[in-house]
Amino acid sequence: MIEIRGLTKRFGRTVAVDALSFDVNPGRVTGFLGPNGSGKSTSMRCMLALDRPDAGTAMFDGRPYDTIRKPLFEVGALLDAGYVHPGRSGRNHLRTLAAANGIGNERVDEVLALVGLTDAAKRRVGTYSLGMRQRLGLAGVLLGDPKVVILDEPANGLDPEGIRWIRDVLVHLAGQGKTVLVSSHQLSEMAQMADDLVVIGMGRLIQTGSVEEFVALHARRWVRVRSPQITEFSNALRQTGATITDVGGSAIDVVGSTAAEIGELAARSGVVLHELAPQQGSLEEAFLEATASAQEYRSSALTGAQQADVQSADQQPANQQHVGRR
Amino acid sequence: MIDLLRSEWIKFHTVRVNFVLGTIAAAFPLIVVTLVALLSKNLDSASSDLVGVVTGTMVLTALLLGVIGALNVTSEYSHGTIRTTFAAAPQRVNVLLAKALITCLGTILFSAVVELVTLTIGSVIFNNRNADIHITGSDKAAMVGAVVLAGMLSLLGYGLGLVIRNSAATVALLVLWPLLLEGIIGAVLGVAGVDNALPWLPYQSALRMANRELGDGDPSRARAGLFLAVVVLLLAVIGIAVNDRRDA
Repeated sequence: MIEIRGLTKRFGRTVAVDALSFDVNPGRVTGFLGPNGSGKSTSMRCMLALDRPDAGTAMFDGRPYDTIRKPLFEVGALLDAGYVHPGRSGRNHLRTLAAANGIGNERVDEVLALVGLTDAAKRRVGTYSLGMRQRLGLAGVLLGDPKVVILDEPANGLDPEGIRWIRDVLVHLAGQGKTVLVSSHQLSEMAQMADDLVVIGMGRLIQTGSVEEFVALHARRWVRVRSPQITEFSNALRQTGATITDVGGSAIDVVGSTAAEIGELAARSGVVLHELAPQQGSLEEAFLEATASAQEYRSSALTGAQQADVQSADQQPANQQHVGRR
Repeated sequence: MIDLLRSEWIKFHTVRVNFVLGTIAAAFPLIVVTLVALLSKNLDSASSDLVGVVTGTMVLTALLLGVIGALNVTSEYSHGTIRTTFAAAPQRVNVLLAKALITCLGTILFSAVVELVTLTIGSVIFNNRNADIHITGSDKAAMVGAVVLAGMLSLLGYGLGLVIRNSAATVALLVLWPLLLEGIIGAVLGVAGVDNALPWLPYQSALRMANRELGDGDPSRARAGLFLAVVVLLLAVIGIAVNDRRDA
């Protein structure tokens, strides 16, 4: 179990993490979400005693990370797959980590096989693709078969098969009773694998709880209604105070009434319904709604001319592009 | 600590740059000594010539090993592996001590082997040319001094690397220290009326450890190296203390 209490980290005048408190429970995959610059990576570095927090504590089963003698058996962490020496082979990279925790070379070969890198084990890491580096990083996480797993954007650079693989691995690890904390910008993936969420914005906690609770609280809910008598039925619904949006094809979206209320009204009005389907927004929609006021960097709506500029800018290297800052 | 030493040893010998620098550091004295032994015309002074060339070329070897010491630290920061290292072993002071120990002992062992091999090859060639090679006590002391110098320069690179955390700046300072920094200090001391500035110049003073013959006014080899040893130790302690507190 991970317990974060009052974690605070400042860089000069900037408060990157602001009195953050939350728990990450065993046996569940916990998604760590937040907009860019919200303090996710800084929080993770503080948890692992890589950054020194200005205040607060991060405990792993009641112990601060830097008091754990052989942490690979307790906590496996992958913060950035790029933290490898490009001139060293993948196997030797893992050997350096394993040796520091008294783990033998046999386990190194085992985890290389687990992540599918046996054939590339003796190649220099500089020749690896980003996806291979992610797999190598995950191999490092698995070295000590730890009770807690912390991953920062593990799906970055992975192809669809790799993304699915890492999702399966994390769900499997949680199924074994391990504590899994994973940050990701791929909300569709998060929706498929996370049980709980910790959502932060501008360094502060926005919400923590189950994915279902989060989506129910923040995502829009409506009822899709399709009927051959949609015009008359829309008028009847408006009289109940519901908000109607015509989506075409004899269908409307209704906000403000439940499917049961709409069905009963249709029955009373003698209206035939071809569809009556409760709808709910995605995790992505809930995330955007919940973090709307905590976006440090945000793009604005584009005019036609601006869109043309952006298309032109797409031809430039990514680091030369500009995004709007609020 | 044994685990950390194992880990640092794997790091030390599994990067190509260390292999390349080590090869150059070994090849330079070997080639120069071989050429001198083959081409030297004055066989009467063969022994002193041989030891002089061996210890002289070993100074460059020591400097290259200093670069290895620096890169062993700075490459961890430039590639971000210091975070992986500290995540795997969060007791930072122990990690940095293990790194210092491996760097120092590794370079001392390496330079001792290079020096002995070089001396042996030079001796064999000279002896085949009917020269009589015999090593005096002073020669042995100079050769030990060259090896100690290599260990100290590797630790100097390590300490500078810990404080600066940038490869280019650390290597530049390591190389420019004796040429530029101490040159300026020596010139300033000269202008200030100090007749012999050498005792105030740790790096140049330490080079005397590898000298075959010491001048009348020169300090002993141990004293010549003491100043640099103190500087190296101070830098290492400051570097370890700073990196224990800083964000990785």
